[in-house]
Amino acid sequence: MILETIDLRKTYKLGKVDVEALRGVNLRIREGELVAIKGPSGCGKSTLMHILGAMARPTYGKALISGQSIGDMNDRQLTQVRRRNIGFVFQKSNLLPTLTVRDNIEIARHIHGAAGDSKDQDSSGIAQLLMIQDKMGHKPSELSGGEQQRVAIARAVVNRPSILLADEPTGNLDSRNSEIVLDMFRELNRKLRQTIVLVTHNPDLIAYAGRLIEMRDGMIVADSVCRQTFTDE
Amino acid sequence: MWEIFSNDGRTAIDVEYSRYRRSPGGKRAGDRMNRRLIIAGLAARPVRTTVSIMAVALEVILILTIIGLANGITNETGRRTEGVGADIMFQAPGSSLLLALNNSTLPIALGNKIRDVEGIKAVAPVQLQVNASNGLEVVYGIEPKTFDEITGGFIWHGGRSFSGPDEVLVDDLYARSKGLSTGDSVDILGHKFKVAGVVEHGKGARLYIPLKTAQAMAGTANRASLFYIKLNNPDRLNDVIDRMKKEFPAYRMLPLKEYTMLMMSNNMPALEAFIKIVVFIAVFIGVLVIFLSMYMTITERTREIGILRSLGASKWFIVTLIFQETAVVCVVGIVIGIVASFLIARGVTAMFPTLLVLITATWVTKASIFALLSGLIGTLYPSLKAAAQDPVEAIAYE
Repeated sequence: MILETIDLRKTYKLGKVDVEALRGVNLRIREGELVAIKGPSGCGKSTLMHILGAMARPTYGKALISGQSIGDMNDRQLTQVRRRNIGFVFQKSNLLPTLTVRDNIEIARHIHGAAGDSKDQDSSGIAQLLMIQDKMGHKPSELSGGEQQRVAIARAVVNRPSILLADEPTGNLDSRNSEIVLDMFRELNRKLRQTIVLVTHNPDLIAYAGRLIEMRDGMIVADSVCRQTFTDE
Repeated sequence: MWEIFSNDGRTAIDVEYSRYRRSPGGKRAGDRMNRRLIIAGLAARPVRTTVSIMAVALEVILILTIIGLANGITNETGRRTEGVGADIMFQAPGSSLLLALNNSTLPIALGNKIRDVEGIKAVAPVQLQVNASNGLEVVYGIEPKTFDEITGGFIWHGGRSFSGPDEVLVDDLYARSKGLSTGDSVDILGHKFKVAGVVEHGKGARLYIPLKTAQAMAGTANRASLFYIKLNNPDRLNDVIDRMKKEFPAYRMLPLKEYTMLMMSNNMPALEAFIKIVVFIAVFIGVLVIFLSMYMTITERTREIGILRSLGASKWFIVTLIFQETAVVCVVGIVIGIVASFLIARGVTAMFPTLLVLITATWVTKASIFALLSGLIGTLYPSLKAAAQDPVEAIAYE
């Protein structure tokens, strides 16, 4: 299993009130799976993604990434997991506004410790894949929402992470840009056997996903296989 | 639809990945990336960056000009006193090294007793007055005859020596700064004097008035602030001082060379304390401004820091990034501060020829180190705060 959670619970403190975001989530995701997660707002989808992305620790239970428990890791180890294993695409593109598109992609490589000496060589292939090659010198503010999200995807996949997590990646996009993003995920999963977990309400993405997990009130209420995707079995 | 696979079966991403993995310039590219990140961060907030740079520059200017001015004044005073040509300065018990601060006086008659000590060639009484109007100037009340015996006489730019009680001699720098020439009137300590002559600078004071006039103005008839002493043989200085100490045990006798050295160094107790205070204030200002600036930056950039952390940037990466940004601000501020200090020093000397701002290489180095240190101290807490941010909370920050 590339991702596994066992009785995963997460409680936040809001002032004096404890808010249970996750209430015993059990989940097993194999390598190469494309999993869609859906559920109403506040059901714990994003919290689950943050834990699976090594950005937050569980309050109780276990979350395992490639067999390693996130709860047992210190900050340095969590940072390493994020750097080496995870690519994260947020609903908002979350690009660095002061950097160009090229540098936004390069920064991920730089942090990963894999920056090359030719920026054109470094970024052009990925940029072509996402049809943003003519935008490399632009700042994020000069791009459309769809283009920004494609840059965010380029940044997330540039280091070949073993797990790509996307939290409502098409949530702010029009249908054309959603289709480009959908194509990207589809190709990554089909040809690279990229493990993808995405939170989405986009019916096209859900339709393509091999598996759909439905959440409500911090729990998984349905987990259904839709169609075959690449897995390690 | 785009094609991920290349001709050899590898994916486009694989090809790209192996390309930069093989690259020998990885570190260089990483350094370039860091530079771009820092410069982009600074350029994105031009007002804050400018204010921070100016604060560091101000810190350097404050240190270099105030200490330069203090050093310049004492150094110049030392040189001028050395220029008197005496071998020993004889003062009343408990007198200050800063002659302008002295209130103690000696009876003029003591001069005759000093003259009787073996090895002494000449003794000149000097009554000091401080003229605080239009700057701070020490005025020497002298007897031209005895003063000339010590100094070897003035070099005249014009005019002649005193012929009356209300006449003054001014040195050429003072005359230039005040636009004075022979025959002009000048007000000193509420007393009107006529400029009798203009002399070459470098013999103790910039203004010389008759001793009796100075005594009358100070209310110290038949007394003097100090005696300058010239020896027959300066090589026997220590012997003469030993003899004088036996005769006048309570008085202060200081070889002029020693006095000059003290004035030209920063070891003078009063000056040392002053310098410490100035440096402390300057560094404190620097720390505060950089702290505020970086704290604001961290708050403004919470989301950016969260993004970097979500990408796998370590705490160390964040801390060093912020420190590097501060270092850039400090270096630019230091360069501007040094250049501005030299320009100010020139301006001060041009406007006030009697003032000297002495900026030494040692103090340029010290001011740079202090500015850099204050920047780093000011950045410490904000950078640690930034690094400690929770990535999820930071990304959600609006």
